Amino acid sequence: METEWIRANEWLDRARALASEGWELRDLAGVDTSGLKDFESRFEIVVQLLHSERRERATLHVMAAGDPPDVPSVVSVWPTANSMEREAYDMFGIVFANHPNLTRILMPDEWEGHPLRKDYGVGKVPVGFKPQPFLQIEGPGQAAVPDEARREVDRLGQIVPERAESDLEPESERS
Amino acid sequence: MSKAPPVVEAVEAKGHGAFVESYDELEERMVINMGPVHPATHGVLRLVLELDGETVIDCRPIIGYLHTGMEKECEDQNWRGAVTIVTRMDYLAPFFNEHAYSLAVERLLGIEVPERGQYARMLVSELNRLASHLVWFGTQGLDMGAMSAMFYGFRERELLLDFFEMVTGLRMNHNYIIPGGVWEDLPDGWEHAVEDILEVMPRRVREYEELLSLNPIFLERTNGVGVISRDDALALGATGPIARAAGIDWDLRRDMPYEAYSELEFEVPVDTAGDVYARYKVRMVEMHQSIHLVRQILDRMPSGDYKNMDPKLTPPPREELNRSMEAVIHHFKLVTQGYTVPPGEAYEAVESPRGELGVYAISDGGTSPYRLRVRDPSFANLQTLPVMAKGGFVADLIATIASIDPILGGVDR
Repeated sequence: METEWIRANEWLDRARALASEGWELRDLAGVDTSGLKDFESRFEIVVQLLHSERRERATLHVMAAGDPPDVPSVVSVWPTANSMEREAYDMFGIVFANHPNLTRILMPDEWEGHPLRKDYGVGKVPVGFKPQPFLQIEGPGQAAVPDEARREVDRLGQIVPERAESDLEPESERS
Repeated sequence: MSKAPPVVEAVEAKGHGAFVESYDELEERMVINMGPVHPATHGVLRLVLELDGETVIDCRPIIGYLHTGMEKECEDQNWRGAVTIVTRMDYLAPFFNEHAYSLAVERLLGIEVPERGQYARMLVSELNRLASHLVWFGTQGLDMGAMSAMFYGFRERELLLDFFEMVTGLRMNHNYIIPGGVWEDLPDGWEHAVEDILEVMPRRVREYEELLSLNPIFLERTNGVGVISRDDALALGATGPIARAAGIDWDLRRDMPYEAYSELEFEVPVDTAGDVYARYKVRMVEMHQSIHLVRQILDRMPSGDYKNMDPKLTPPPREELNRSMEAVIHHFKLVTQGYTVPPGEAYEAVESPRGELGVYAISDGGTSPYRLRVRDPSFANLQTLPVMAKGGFVADLIATIASIDPILGGVDR
């Protein structure tokens, strides 16, 4: 089992190269390294890859720099990363650029904080469910991610490039 | 159909638990909320469906209703105690959770498991696979109106749960497979209990096949329903029976063997149709293969230690506490603080009834996991549902959910 550390800005190119070699993504998890020694950035995503022909596994650490930590999304390379990246966002607040639908997946939409971070105190945060979910029907319901984060996606969750409005109009109306 | 129409977003904005029905007069499309409490969603799976009449146009699984933060809880337990938490994740396959976790911790510790421990693990795992597939068989039948399938499936599962109770003391959440081996040796008379199961089960599984395999109604409702292609299954990371029914010939027990699976003979069923019926056939053959494996394990069960007897890892036997001071000290250290694990990381996976169940553990050198991540197969497999459901009828969706066999305890953790 080989292990490799990668910077976030190289991750997408590396992922494409690995996918073309036949590596499949098996797991993607966030890690808060603040309690560990000798780690460069506070947040990492740890990716488990499997090469089913060679029967090999590999572990990649992608270092997420910045605040909030920022990593390119690999949903366009491995569609299975979709919900795993959403979980890493939900639990650690790692923002995946170009993810088709980066919203909370396990916690309620209006939850504050990211529970698996090491500075998220157990027992310190009051339970924050909505008081009357049946009555509150206004509001976007998406606390942290703006609506622009929602993209048009296809069958496998890939982002569909936006078309210009003129392409959609029929010929007769244009003249 | 890709971008969520405004009406879907309006439904999602209404929040959790609200039962919503809306109707878009312009496009004649209806958005309904299926779940989270619905008998055919196998737990608390919520689906937002966009329907055109009876046809599913879009399907969005919404999860998290069973989320209790188990990965976070494990960080507060010692390495031995975290077993009691991981076993509760995929509650139909508790042995597999414990097994994957124990393999990861053993990798970090760099220890070996004695042969008898390995065989005991394989024995309970294969029986557990059988029990889990029996629940799937019952619910698959029940969801499609074959009520007797449920009765038969749960009747035979009872035999297996009785055996688990005999071995571990509990019917579920066994806490039996631990880092280093298994917690207790197999009890007196376990051979006879397994022989009883082996005598009954092959006949019963053939009975189930007679019940459903050629049943015209069952065939009508499963053939060509919920189809997923090989490429889509590969791209969406499906594992287990879903992947094998779509033509991906992959089984961790055979291809990356752990424990002593390389010493045993078994076949891995593969089908290429990728529909509900193909998944049915794959699971049926897997049940026969598990029985076949249990028979081999029974014949070959070695004697000797059932767990690693390193005193730094395993509490000493009770009788030694009466005469050895060291034993008392070891026992005291293990009970009050647990053992330490060298710093590092490990990912280990087992083939659970639903696919690849992996555990990624990081140790900072202390007595509890620094980070524990469980890659649950249901979590990844659930992403295939929208692909399978689109274009089918709502009734087909029910059959499809049952054939994915998601366990929401594992999905949400």
